[in-house]
Amino acid sequence: MTETELRFTVNGTPRLIAVEPGKTLLAVLREDLGLTSVKEGCGQGDCGSCIVVMDGLAVNSCLVLAAQADGSEVVTLEGLAVNGQLHPLQHHFAEEWAFQCGYCTPGMIMSCYALLMHNPKPEAQDVEQAIEGNLCRCTDYHNIIKAVLAAADEVNARVAE
Amino acid sequence: MNRPAYVAPTTLEEASAILGENPTGARLIAGGTDLIVQMRAGVVQPDVLIDLRLLPLDTISVEKDLVRLGSRVTHTQVIESKVMREMFPALAAACEAVGGPATRNRGTIGGNLANASPAADSALPLLVYDTSVVVASAASERTMPLADFFVDYRQTALKPGEIIKEIRVPVPSGKTASSFIKLGKRQALMIAVVSVAARLTVDESYKVREARIALGSVAPTPIRASSAEKMMVGEGLSVEVIAEVANETVNGASPITDARASAEYRTKMIAVLVRRALAKCMEQLTEKSVDDGN
Amino acid sequence: MSATKILGKRTTAVGSHDIVTGQARYTPDLTFPGMLVGKLLYTTHPSARIVNIDVSKARALPGVAAVITHEDIPGENSYLVYDSDQPLLIEDYARYQGDALAAIAAENEAAAQAALQAIEVDYEPLPGIFNPLEAVKPESPRVWPDRDNIYGHVVIDGGDVSAAFEQADIIVENTYTTQTVEHAYLEPEGAVALVESDGMVVVYTSCQTPHRDRTQIARSLGIPESMVRVIVPRVGGAFGGKDEAHVQIHAALLAQATGRPVRLIRSREESILTHVKRHPVTIHYRSAVTTDGQLLGVDVQAIGDTGPYANMGMNVMSVLASHVTGAYYVPNSHIESYTVLTNNPICGAMRGFGQYQAHFACERQMDAIAQAVGVDPVEIRLRNALQEGMKLPTGAKVRQGSSPTESIGEAVRLSGWKERDQSDDRLPAHLRRGWGIAAMLESFGIGRNLPDCAGAVLEMAVDGSVILRTGAVDMGQGAYTVLAQLAAEQLGVELSAVRVITPDTDKTVEAGASCASRVTFTSGNAILRSALPIRRGLLKTAAEETGIPEEKLSLRGGFLFAEEEKLAISVAELAQKARQRNYQLNSSGYYAMDYPDDIFDEDSYPHAPGFFTAGAAVARVLVDLETGEVTVEELVLVQDIGRVLNPDGALGQAEGGMAMGLGGAILEELIVREGKTLNYSLESYLIPTVRDIPKTIVKFLETPEPYGPYGARGMAEGPIILAPPAIVNAISDAIGAPLNSMPVTAERVLEALEGNGNTS
Repeated sequence: MTETELRFTVNGTPRLIAVEPGKTLLAVLREDLGLTSVKEGCGQGDCGSCIVVMDGLAVNSCLVLAAQADGSEVVTLEGLAVNGQLHPLQHHFAEEWAFQCGYCTPGMIMSCYALLMHNPKPEAQDVEQAIEGNLCRCTDYHNIIKAVLAAADEVNARVAE
Repeated sequence: MNRPAYVAPTTLEEASAILGENPTGARLIAGGTDLIVQMRAGVVQPDVLIDLRLLPLDTISVEKDLVRLGSRVTHTQVIESKVMREMFPALAAACEAVGGPATRNRGTIGGNLANASPAADSALPLLVYDTSVVVASAASERTMPLADFFVDYRQTALKPGEIIKEIRVPVPSGKTASSFIKLGKRQALMIAVVSVAARLTVDESYKVREARIALGSVAPTPIRASSAEKMMVGEGLSVEVIAEVANETVNGASPITDARASAEYRTKMIAVLVRRALAKCMEQLTEKSVDDGN
Repeated sequence: MSATKILGKRTTAVGSHDIVTGQARYTPDLTFPGMLVGKLLYTTHPSARIVNIDVSKARALPGVAAVITHEDIPGENSYLVYDSDQPLLIEDYARYQGDALAAIAAENEAAAQAALQAIEVDYEPLPGIFNPLEAVKPESPRVWPDRDNIYGHVVIDGGDVSAAFEQADIIVENTYTTQTVEHAYLEPEGAVALVESDGMVVVYTSCQTPHRDRTQIARSLGIPESMVRVIVPRVGGAFGGKDEAHVQIHAALLAQATGRPVRLIRSREESILTHVKRHPVTIHYRSAVTTDGQLLGVDVQAIGDTGPYANMGMNVMSVLASHVTGAYYVPNSHIESYTVLTNNPICGAMRGFGQYQAHFACERQMDAIAQAVGVDPVEIRLRNALQEGMKLPTGAKVRQGSSPTESIGEAVRLSGWKERDQSDDRLPAHLRRGWGIAAMLESFGIGRNLPDCAGAVLEMAVDGSVILRTGAVDMGQGAYTVLAQLAAEQLGVELSAVRVITPDTDKTVEAGASCASRVTFTSGNAILRSALPIRRGLLKTAAEETGIPEEKLSLRGGFLFAEEEKLAISVAELAQKARQRNYQLNSSGYYAMDYPDDIFDEDSYPHAPGFFTAGAAVARVLVDLETGEVTVEELVLVQDIGRVLNPDGALGQAEGGMAMGLGGAILEELIVREGKTLNYSLESYLIPTVRDIPKTIVKFLETPEPYGPYGARGMAEGPIILAPPAIVNAISDAIGAPLNSMPVTAERVLEALEGNGNTS
């Protein structure tokens, strides 16, 4: 199986790796780059656990082939904290108990990260829409919505300063 | 999942040529949201994947009487386009009902049509908007009504080597209204049990000039309820007419029983959803609310 | 209620930083040098004789390190639950779709897939037994040649049930059915196993019962348990589905066979097809009632389909029998519950564990009785509600705080039940609103005369920091946090001073399974016992240092207090001084479930539950009469949990449990035909999304359970027990027709509306 060169930026760092083009982005991130925050929950886009942000959009990384990520910018949960300082989403997910087992959390946070990129002042309805493709079996999603709204408030407050 | 070879051609001709050389073993991939799932299930086992990502087919062009969607336009692009939402609200609604945000960010209109599932959400509004599909190969290009595009269950009119290039949707004119309803087993991230798109155009005296009703998940392909449509032409808008037409749409549908629903239930839901979809159109046209409970 | 510094306060969860930064490691995230990919080959027929298995071609493939079959298992080729009838790798017969024939280890995914495909199996398909109601009959063909299909039969008799039915003014009789439910945790089952140079077998696995897994691994590998180590990474949800061993023994066998680390993770499809499910149950329920709705007696027969292997089937059906009269006083009863073998998917533990099915039947029956006698559904429940001192059919006595009366009252008040008909909300003609109530008596703990114990170890360092070693698995319910809070409270330090060493059979002693809503209670009590000598030593030191009598001294937030006065002596200083005095600074505490002497008598059911949590829920739903679709608008839950130790943790269990219950009530159903599951993906087995969730109101009552740590009761299964019957009662109310089967899908609502009788 001939490998192809995958040239892309992951969490701000340019990467060049040789991969089988048919490998999924999920597998590349987890296995080739050790970014194990990206989880496999179903392997076919039905649970959202594998969601990462690619070129500013939330995508199911299990449904993106490695070769399709060539030239793109990918952000995973590992890329959110800056110099050890948590992103407001991360901080408020912890504060609000927006997770229990935590397995859906990386994909959940990335869906919300994508939301805030496009809509810095979301309402509860907007958060619901942003996470309607993320399954959580432990919570009832209420705390997740609370956490995102609190994070948005904090981001906006910071921006206002 | 087997590991096929992969190419990302830069021109449609190139893509078409590779596809044409290997009609059984080559598959096109755009968003991958259907294809990769099918590969995982072993339903499809391509030798080579032809990625369309480098082809310039991802724009929405708005002309005077026509909107042209490149086949790689995603559901998200449709939803976020003000023009699309205003001119084709049923299509925007259908795109919003596809999967979840991540699916919509990658899934393309062309892919949705080429996959040819009877449950294809975008197909129904596109049918009621009298859409045409431009398909191209290395050698030629042709246009056909979308109504002719779906041939049988997961089978399209695409010939070997042909690729959907563009989806052409005429801008609706006159007094017209459209709607889309999707019935599923839960409130999000679901495949339709039954879905309906409808469009009514009326004359100055609010008599129906044109009626379009498309049904999903009740036949091997998305279908138009032609006999019901014909019934509506010339009629005035009323709850009674809508009810009669809705009952007529059941003829011509052939729903099956599967893991999601029984054929009996689907049959009952056709009339209910068509009635509601037509009532929504009527509400928009007359700007009066319709109690769609009967 | 004693004042506490740490308990009852909000705090972020232990381990939350790792979770939100993506650094938390779950089993599939672990890698080791030279690690192989492990996979299992499952049968393609749910019922078949295995004529031949040929793995020679698979073994010869490049990149394949090992292929093992039943011939290659050094120790016992079986799981060991309460029985050892389920093979790890089958030899002669496949008895359900999830039976495994071979285990392989290969260099990579592709080689592993190739190996699976190269294994040749000759099957002789056999007729299967797929209907438990037929399987229970004496004339039925048998799943096993040498075993009855009735694996377990529990009878609970109390009083004089014939007399009760003779005296009855009204007899209400119905049949209720519940469906096969899938746990659908986001992380499928998995294990990573390796063998160290000294022969130690180390297994990392997503599980609920590490020490029992260790026993099984040792038993099948043919090595002493002391040479097996089970380590539990973060667990991505379990809900009972990982209570019993799944792939950890196979992974260990492969590591032993290859001498290399092996990672064996089930795909989602494999997970749904093979791991245990919630028992589908048919309950035939007869109630003898007076004209004013007083319950005189019940005659109940429950049949549970456990699949071909015993697993925990008997226990589930025993718990079901113990709970089938719910939160009400029923003086005369004849309750029979059958655990039936079939070739359907194997069933085992799932949150609710028989109480879920029992309460569905009981609460639907209460509404049916309310209708039959013309009494309001709330009123009929209050009239029959258990009170302190009353006896359950199992013979267990109801103690303080286990009556549902207050919960019912609060749920009614918070939901606006009494004003429900006064709403001026004008609904369109096709929508109908419905209200439903359910009450429960949840039990926690495994049950009388069954193993139910926990150990915990505490150490205080001389700088006052604390290490807590717990073998209790936190699978998301917040166990590590509440146990750390208990340790901090007991030793008088800040929560931040406590580090939790999580389950690792080399570092932590056994705490039993994380199941039966038992962790806070049993591990909490173990922590209290563990803390006692340490705290004694610190306080003795303090008394000696200050001259103040020990009774007046306490430790709080890292400092010594003389009654309410904070002294300038830190716990750290006391620890140093205690060390100099040779006072004990580390201790192991052990707690075995300990029932009060007077709650059982000689006639009590031998496995009766003895500790309870009462509760009630009200659901408000909107039904579309044309499509049958149900929208749950609001759920109110009131539960008496004794003492709220961690508000967020408790609320999380309430909300999550209700969501899971909503799924069971209207959405979820494993569709099985002739032993084969048709919907084995998350696209076809639907669990609630954010859009399916209603508004919720949760209130906890706090009647202390004197046997619980700080008065706490187990509570995590209560919400999933309450939500389904409340919701189904509400739907039934909306459409004016009985609904006696779960899930209540849109189709079933329409059928009921059309008067097609009881749906099942």
